[in-house]
Amino acid sequence: MMTMPAALDDLRVLDLSQGIAGPLSARLLGDFGADVVKIEPPDGDCARRLGPFAGGESHPEKSLPFLLTNMNKRGITLALDRPEGAALLRRLAADADVIVESFPPGYLAARGLDHATLARDNPALVMTSITPFGQTGPYRHFTGDEIVAYATGGVMAISGTTDREPLKHGGMPGQYETGMNGMLATMVALLVRDMTGIGEHVDVSAQEVLASTLVINQPMYSWFGGVQGRRRPDGGAFGQIMPCKDGYFVSQEGASATWDDIADFFGRPEMKEPRFADHAQRGANGPALDALVLEATRDRTMAEMFRTASEQYRMLLGIVQTPEDLAHCPQLEARNFYQEVEHPVIGRIRVPFRLWNMTAGPASYRRTAPLLGQHNAEIYDARLGLDAAALRRHGTI
Amino acid sequence: MTSLPLEGLRIVDISNVFSLPYAAGLLADLGAEVIKIEGPGRLDVSRHGAFSGVYPDNEVGEDPWNRTSTYNLLNRGKKSVVLDLSRPEGRAVLKDLIAVSDVLAENFTPRVMRGWELDYPHAAKLNPNLLMISCSGFGREGPYAQYPAQATTQEATHGLTDATGYRGDIPSKAGQSFVDFLATWALSMGTLLGLRYRRRFGKGLWVDVGMYQLGCFMVSERILDWEANRHRDERIGNRHRQFAPQGCYRCAGEDAWCAISVRDDAEWAALCGVIGRPELAADPRYATVEGRRAHHDALDTLIGAWTATLGKMEAMERAQAAGVPAGAVFNARDMHLDPHLRARGFLEMLEFPPERGIGRRPVIGRPWKLDRTRIAVRGPAPTLGQHNRDILCGLLGYDEARFAELEQAGITATKPTKVRPPLRLSMEDRLRQGRLAEWDRDYKTRLGIAD
Repeated sequence: MMTMPAALDDLRVLDLSQGIAGPLSARLLGDFGADVVKIEPPDGDCARRLGPFAGGESHPEKSLPFLLTNMNKRGITLALDRPEGAALLRRLAADADVIVESFPPGYLAARGLDHATLARDNPALVMTSITPFGQTGPYRHFTGDEIVAYATGGVMAISGTTDREPLKHGGMPGQYETGMNGMLATMVALLVRDMTGIGEHVDVSAQEVLASTLVINQPMYSWFGGVQGRRRPDGGAFGQIMPCKDGYFVSQEGASATWDDIADFFGRPEMKEPRFADHAQRGANGPALDALVLEATRDRTMAEMFRTASEQYRMLLGIVQTPEDLAHCPQLEARNFYQEVEHPVIGRIRVPFRLWNMTAGPASYRRTAPLLGQHNAEIYDARLGLDAAALRRHGTI
Repeated sequence: MTSLPLEGLRIVDISNVFSLPYAAGLLADLGAEVIKIEGPGRLDVSRHGAFSGVYPDNEVGEDPWNRTSTYNLLNRGKKSVVLDLSRPEGRAVLKDLIAVSDVLAENFTPRVMRGWELDYPHAAKLNPNLLMISCSGFGREGPYAQYPAQATTQEATHGLTDATGYRGDIPSKAGQSFVDFLATWALSMGTLLGLRYRRRFGKGLWVDVGMYQLGCFMVSERILDWEANRHRDERIGNRHRQFAPQGCYRCAGEDAWCAISVRDDAEWAALCGVIGRPELAADPRYATVEGRRAHHDALDTLIGAWTATLGKMEAMERAQAAGVPAGAVFNARDMHLDPHLRARGFLEMLEFPPERGIGRRPVIGRPWKLDRTRIAVRGPAPTLGQHNRDILCGLLGYDEARFAELEQAGITATKPTKVRPPLRLSMEDRLRQGRLAEWDRDYKTRLGIAD
């Protein structure tokens, strides 16, 4: 089979990470050509116990987040807590280019598997560690998850409204963003290694990933001592979520639409009066503007408003699309976003896959996520000349 | 002394606002020479207008466009050249620059670059080895390709808003320009992948990032739940769809909160001890995650009663000491003063030349480090047109007569022809209008940047 050259098709990656962020980093390396072997503990990556599950019931081969973040990998099991397991990892690491891991800082060092130790045999080895608070600093041993990253990363403090508690974004975007940064930081280390021959230890902090998005908020403090809070609960139809006939929308000033265009789109000439048209006065008249917009959109649908605003008025308008809307989105179709996957347990399913397009070396799909230990024989027997069955009997894998 | 990974690489950056300017700023940290191009009548939005950020000590100054916080954070370490790209003479200079550069970074709406015959097929003719990086709202093809887009409206359309909101309430706007930063990470990754591809295979390529599909990826598990099960989770605020309890609890102090999350029975038992109610660990109602989910409101009350007696940092530290995931809700002040982030050097100092009247200001570095190669912001963002002469005469070899001609024709300049009037609001007004929650008059002393 002819394969297209890809930027990372000369690399071997070992993915020791669990959860969402680390595995996504390793998947992204795989998407661009790297040969990725996922190494799970014998009872599996904790993400196998994370829902939603295909069919709704918890099952280690039906976790949808696991499927998402482990495509383009082969999978083996290995008990790193046992000395024989640690020794086997050292063998695998000897000819690896990259290791991605997400253990608490110190876990690998206690087993002689940290970067400094492994790099003695393989100085070109890059190790990317992805943790809630990074490898250094007083909170390095703190445990964390999505909401902890959102809280300590500063995003929650400005999300939600002043009358209520800070609000996390829904789902786990912080984990996905951390995964993207794990891949990005690994790329930086690879470019250094290409130049110097020396692989480095890369330290990614989920807290800092979230904090790095606050490019308005952070320098407000260092420029003038300002601390931003949450939005007031009402006033200002612009930039707030508003209901319409069959859902919700949000509109904003900007793009090439003037305020008059916006008033025309809503069909409310009163909006052209200075109390709304003038920025300085609009804030004080927020509730009245809200009421006008509400009345104007009561009988309009999301799809019609999105199309009309975008095509006729060149105006910024977003609609609150549901997962069902995204599943049927013609734009995602045109961008080839979904990858149809045949999974031995889940069956046929479309998985969000292509993050962006490239004219050469684009993300390419080669295999679905591995079943637990699916490639043990392929790696241990065929590559290392061992006996996977015996290793399993001894509890090493 | 190790050299930086992108030393010797030249990037022409004609991008605007947050996403791609930030990515190019990160590439400047990595050693690239980044030449930022703006039009005399089309300054980067981050220099003025709604997204300008703020002025040092709230003083607008003589050249406000050079002083805004967000502009200076995002464009650190770049060079600035002014070129009027709306005129053919300006585009001629840009073409000369493309011919001697490695990367072209742009985020115009797709029809603009095509109209200028600077889309990838054309740009690659000027420089066959060119790596072109494009960012747009929806990507360069498809039915929405020409739709205008900005973060606030995109986060709704790409599905994050439907997932975000207080439990049982309407959808909520996410924080600040969420999708722009997804694009920042994607554009940076795409550039580094493209560079490695080019180095290995000797060919340039085009990276085409559409922010919408990045945003959609952020709700992947919800899309998969729909694909597999035709099921859509309701909005659950700060709770977790599976683990319980989880929430954001009020602590002692002004607007002080701590998030706490319990992922399994062991963490639940640990939390019971932390909140001084060890007997609850044995309570059969709460013994299983199903039970804890069923009694979530009651558990919130119990946990909230404990956090209310403590400062947010103390609540975080006590829960963490017992191995329970907990995080104080950090505001901008905490981001600057917290001992952990300080120890890690997360914020890095920009040192401005005295004549800029900005002084020293810490800004966001990047959320990862390498253990040997020291990567850091390499200097402040340039003033508008600061490098006009260096680049046009020095790099491109234009003679003085040609340079003077370009200046005279207004193709290049060091002053804008059009600026939006800066927002002049006292700190007190900012507090009154809710633009700020708090203001530390002594922030410079706290940051150690007082004169």
